[in-house]
Amino acid sequence: MKYLAIFSVVVVVGVFANLVNESKMLSYLSSDPKVCVNCHPMITHYETWQHSSHRDRATCIDCHLPRDTFVNKMLAKARDGYHHSVAMTFKTYGYNLRISADAAKRIQDNCISCHRENVSQMLANSALYEKVEDSGVQMGRRCWQCHRDVPHGTMRNLTATQNNFSVKVF
Amino acid sequence: MKKSPIVFTLSVLALAPMVLLTMSIKENKAEQQAIGAVPVIKENETRASEWGKHYPRQYDTYMQTRKSDEIADVLKQDPALVVMWAGYAFSKDYNKPRGHYYALEDNINTLRTGAPVDGKTGPLPTACWTCKSPDVPRLIKRDGEMEFFTGKWAKYGDEIVNPIGCGDCHDSSTMKLTLTRDYLKRGLEAEGRLKTADVTHQDMRSLVCAQCHAEYYFKKTEWDDKGEKKTAMVVTFPWKNGLSAENMEAYYDDYNFSDWTHQMSKTPMLKAQHPDYETFVTGVHYRNGLSCADCHMPYVREGGVKYSNHKIGSPLDNIANTCLNCHKGTEKEFRETVEKKLARKNELAKMATDVLAQAHLEAAKAWELGATEEEMKLALQDIRHGQWRWDYAVAGHGAFFHAPEETLRVLAGAINKGQDARLKLRIVLAKYNAADYVGPDFSTKEKAQAIIGLPFEKLIEEKKTFLNTLRQEWIKQSEAKGLYDPATRKDMVLKTSYN
Repeated sequence: MKYLAIFSVVVVVGVFANLVNESKMLSYLSSDPKVCVNCHPMITHYETWQHSSHRDRATCIDCHLPRDTFVNKMLAKARDGYHHSVAMTFKTYGYNLRISADAAKRIQDNCISCHRENVSQMLANSALYEKVEDSGVQMGRRCWQCHRDVPHGTMRNLTATQNNFSVKVF
Repeated sequence: MKKSPIVFTLSVLALAPMVLLTMSIKENKAEQQAIGAVPVIKENETRASEWGKHYPRQYDTYMQTRKSDEIADVLKQDPALVVMWAGYAFSKDYNKPRGHYYALEDNINTLRTGAPVDGKTGPLPTACWTCKSPDVPRLIKRDGEMEFFTGKWAKYGDEIVNPIGCGDCHDSSTMKLTLTRDYLKRGLEAEGRLKTADVTHQDMRSLVCAQCHAEYYFKKTEWDDKGEKKTAMVVTFPWKNGLSAENMEAYYDDYNFSDWTHQMSKTPMLKAQHPDYETFVTGVHYRNGLSCADCHMPYVREGGVKYSNHKIGSPLDNIANTCLNCHKGTEKEFRETVEKKLARKNELAKMATDVLAQAHLEAAKAWELGATEEEMKLALQDIRHGQWRWDYAVAGHGAFFHAPEETLRVLAGAINKGQDARLKLRIVLAKYNAADYVGPDFSTKEKAQAIIGLPFEKLIEEKKTFLNTLRQEWIKQSEAKGLYDPATRKDMVLKTSYN
């Protein structure tokens, strides 16, 4: 039995090592946008971003992860990563991906964080007439409700996006 | 309590999901590879419809080039050309080009390619197929370049059966643009401006067109076929000295080359073939970094999909999606501007053809009266150069627009050379008491063909026999070989200048 136990541990370690390799697990610790296209549904978002004015200024995580503390960033990464891998494994995603409420709030904060000088007066003014329940949404609207094509374009269906050469289009 | 069974149980419990997850990841990767892969199109596939199964939008737009189907008889529009090309096949039949879809059909139907009765009869060499079909690179690969360029046109009648299509510009394994005609690479190297190693994708978007839309000649090349001496007529670009009319003229002069000897004036003549790329590169659009495809294959969107329109034709059919991408102004203004450019070119071109046709007739008269070669030599040289320049300026598709200044400059040179020839000939004529000689009237195609003694009706009869016999054989044989796609000629109506 002892040898069987030892053998089973060795097998587990081996399979885990293979899994680490196959899933490119360690790459998720990096901040390189290419990591996000480890899975093909993100190719659309990668390609649209790469053809946008933001490509030289902001990477995926600059907008999509919180920037306040390292701990929050890693927690968000782990949480999103878990949701993504479940969706990927069980194929529960559709062709049109939608942002979660939590992620939307982060992005809004990050828009303002970079564009603070542009929007500071708007924020100050909005405080005077803000009448929304969610205080996380200044002025009652998020930036991209007007700036609809920033940065992923208006068309981001996984099968029908411009510049998306890697996903089957017909 | 024993530890081993617990460790074992835990290990197995951990193992199960890990194995399942690994399998799932592998499965996903395989699927993505299949989706992202370029579809498999077999090497040397020349039927556009086979490519079209994977690229339906490109194929559909390509097939629309069949809408450009009007036959415009240029010899009728300007009968002087019949006189200028006396003794050369172009005096028999010369139409404005139609869509790519008809490239092969028109090549086969024109009176120029004559009426061969088998694979060995003339009048033209195999080289006349060179630009008409993706079957050409296939045959060059199969038989070798020298063998391809050896023999008569009819040799490949049952092999060259698909009109200009996907395989002329695209690599079937990667879909990248590719040069399928080596003579262009040799031309570029000889000219030296653009090294093939430095060619960018944007360059390729013009160079794939330049494989055919360029000036060429058939260079007689001796070769050895396993001990047997053969002569190939190899398509060659005269680019060594440069791309201008004068550069190429010098190239041909140095090489003592002539396409044919004029039947009436005995001039060693040059025939220009659509130097589109050469003139385009002198124009403002090329100098601003544009390629042929930017205007002739503009991007279109269909839903969320963007692709380049393969209905290659005049950008004037689609000004809103071509000119106006970069320029301000209205469609109407653009149309008027281009029409003015065309009218200026036509004005000078008409002067040139009139002068040159007269020069040929006057030279013929001088010979008839007994002029010597010594007396005629310089005048004939002027005719040769004048007609070459006129041809260089007008033979292309749209040079008046691609390079208006260059086109008008070259035409001015043509008129000047033609008048120089006429001055010299007038002196010779005066010497033989014919100072007031006026050549015969060539104001209609019929009159002009009568002057050069062209048996027009006979040519048509022979051609029709060919189309009803050997041509039908070619279609049957190619279908049996599986090369031919009947869609190629679906609903095709015989449209020519003579029927």
